[in-house]
Amino acid sequence: MHLSTQEYIAGTAAVLAVWMCGLTQVRLALRGLAAQTALLAVATAALGLERHAPYELLLAAVVLVVKAGAIPAYLAWAAGRLDIRRDAGALLSPTLSMLAGLGLLATGFFLAPRFATPASGHAGMAGMALALVFSGMLLMLTRRLALSQLIGFLVMENGIFLYSLTQTAGMPMIVEMGVVFDVLVGVLVAGLVIFRLNRSFEHIDVTQLRGLRN
Amino acid sequence: MSALADWPVVFALPALVILAGLTPRAARVLPQAAAALMLAQLLVVFNVCRPAFARAEGSVGDLGIGGLTAAFLIITTIVAAASFVQAAALLPAERADAPEQGITDRRLCFFYTLAGSFLAAMYAVLLSHNLGFMWISMEATTLLSAPLVYYHRTQRSLEAAWKYLLLCSVGIAFALFGTVLLVAAQHASGEGASLLFGRLIANGSALDPRLVRLGFVFCVLGYGAKAGLFPLHNWLPDAHSEAPAPASAMLSGGLLNCALVAIWRVAQVTQAAGQGHLVRQILVPAGAITVLAASLMLLRQSDLKRMWAYSSVEHVGLLALAIGVGSTPVFILHALNHSLVKVALFLLSGSIIHVYGTKSLPKLRGLLNVAPAWGIALFAGAFAIAGSPPFGTFLSEWLLLRDTFAAGEAVAGGAVILGLTVAFVAISIHASRVLFGAAPPSVLRRPREAWVAAPAALLLAGLVTGLALTPPAMRFLTMLALGGQP
Repeated sequence: MHLSTQEYIAGTAAVLAVWMCGLTQVRLALRGLAAQTALLAVATAALGLERHAPYELLLAAVVLVVKAGAIPAYLAWAAGRLDIRRDAGALLSPTLSMLAGLGLLATGFFLAPRFATPASGHAGMAGMALALVFSGMLLMLTRRLALSQLIGFLVMENGIFLYSLTQTAGMPMIVEMGVVFDVLVGVLVAGLVIFRLNRSFEHIDVTQLRGLRN
Repeated sequence: MSALADWPVVFALPALVILAGLTPRAARVLPQAAAALMLAQLLVVFNVCRPAFARAEGSVGDLGIGGLTAAFLIITTIVAAASFVQAAALLPAERADAPEQGITDRRLCFFYTLAGSFLAAMYAVLLSHNLGFMWISMEATTLLSAPLVYYHRTQRSLEAAWKYLLLCSVGIAFALFGTVLLVAAQHASGEGASLLFGRLIANGSALDPRLVRLGFVFCVLGYGAKAGLFPLHNWLPDAHSEAPAPASAMLSGGLLNCALVAIWRVAQVTQAAGQGHLVRQILVPAGAITVLAASLMLLRQSDLKRMWAYSSVEHVGLLALAIGVGSTPVFILHALNHSLVKVALFLLSGSIIHVYGTKSLPKLRGLLNVAPAWGIALFAGAFAIAGSPPFGTFLSEWLLLRDTFAAGEAVAGGAVILGLTVAFVAISIHASRVLFGAAPPSVLRRPREAWVAAPAALLLAGLVTGLALTPPAMRFLTMLALGGQP
């Protein structure tokens, strides 16, 4: 089977997500996130060149600067300030979590034909997008720290972005930009809440937040 | 004139409130000024919406007002006006009476900036007839209202805000995936993808049914989490009970409706693609289970505001059922009735909690002795929210049950009747304990009876919607729902 450049790029992004499932070091996970998002920006730019769509190039630049640059940098800064190094994980050990990530990759490919559009000719891409969405959810479920859950959310969002990139003829640009803006503001607000959590509870371990259970 | 008098006007007064909130020096006059502005906003919104009552939803551009939008804009504005009026009384008093909470001028003013922006974001959700814009505005409502939940700066409110932010953002990510799937479903149509509601409806037959079905499921998961459909309701009681009362009222009476309108729009698109049976197969059981589950959880509540929050979950179930069986007029009517009564109850509960200094139900006793006017209002409100005649809620619930059985959904109808009965019992027990008995010695402050004004006005309106539901009123609702003269 011959793989196109874009499929290589998207495949690498999906493998990065599986790798991130097995990480305990927050700093490495953030680098994984930045690399993965940068790959998606490259894929967007490649597609823009192929389709001769200048807007896609603009989108690629915004994704590169905001989602691959500013957001991971902000989170890394927050992790430094809060002195967070490791997330031991809850529910599943990192090894098991990585294995589960591999399973989700396979599931993504298994489900891909249901999600792929016939026109795109990239059924495999839908599989990788789904794998990203699923691993993001897995990350959110199996992490202990509020910050890592945020990383999971961003991986999930990357999956949705990859799907819209490869399976649609392009979302309206203003909508894409609005989504990037919402994600940016969301991460900023969530970061502020994490600082408050740390100040108020002296930890950001979400499994230890149980004041509201009744 | 016509362009100026259209939808952008609804943002003018909220923008003033937002700007005024940015200057902490305005703290002394801002609560009263904001309340006055929001009362004026009622007139503005009504005047902007009036020409749109007969406009079909599908005929509107990216942003605009159709019949259903008009109805929900008016409901949201009523909710906001009542909440701001109550906030003008409650928030300064709270600040003066509880200096240990350390509420600064800046925080008080920032509350208004956030509340005004939150209101504007809700307007944007309703005005968006582009599913992409709708998604963006919906995420904005979460980001703007999460800090409102944290107004009191307690550990519990912080935890609630985090839970709300995270669960709703994840939920809404699903809705984004659903929206993208709806774009992908247009691969067969030659003229490029569009997210315009009217276009999607008009080209319904050209949509790929497989992807529309997936898109609908993901959107219901996403917006359903935001609306609090069981079992995605987990964050809702926390956020609604920890927020200050005016914010709780806006979350419960405004935001839940917005999420349901989003589900309604996606359901219309799904229907236009010939997949109406899926809408019914998903929303009818989801609604019925939500009603039943919420009513069971209502039985064992020990917190006044959590009780009303679970009751909101129950009513969200009823509204989802109304969308599922396709009776849009009842959807609008019940949303109006629920918002009127629930906002009254949240605002009243805020005052009660302020006076008693606790929201724990076992410690709230003898309200009729402590503050007779508040007691009577709570009595009426509890009666109304449990769906008793002659309040509007009774009629809209009755109409909903009629439509449910007429649609052949007898099992769901039975489950809802059971749920409503349990909820009635639960609310009666809890409310009567609050109302009767001797006042505990722990009552902190003297109640100010005038604070009952806004809740009482809302309850009166909730009574009028029940008494005035004549055939012409029903025809008007049908016109709002379907667009054009019936």
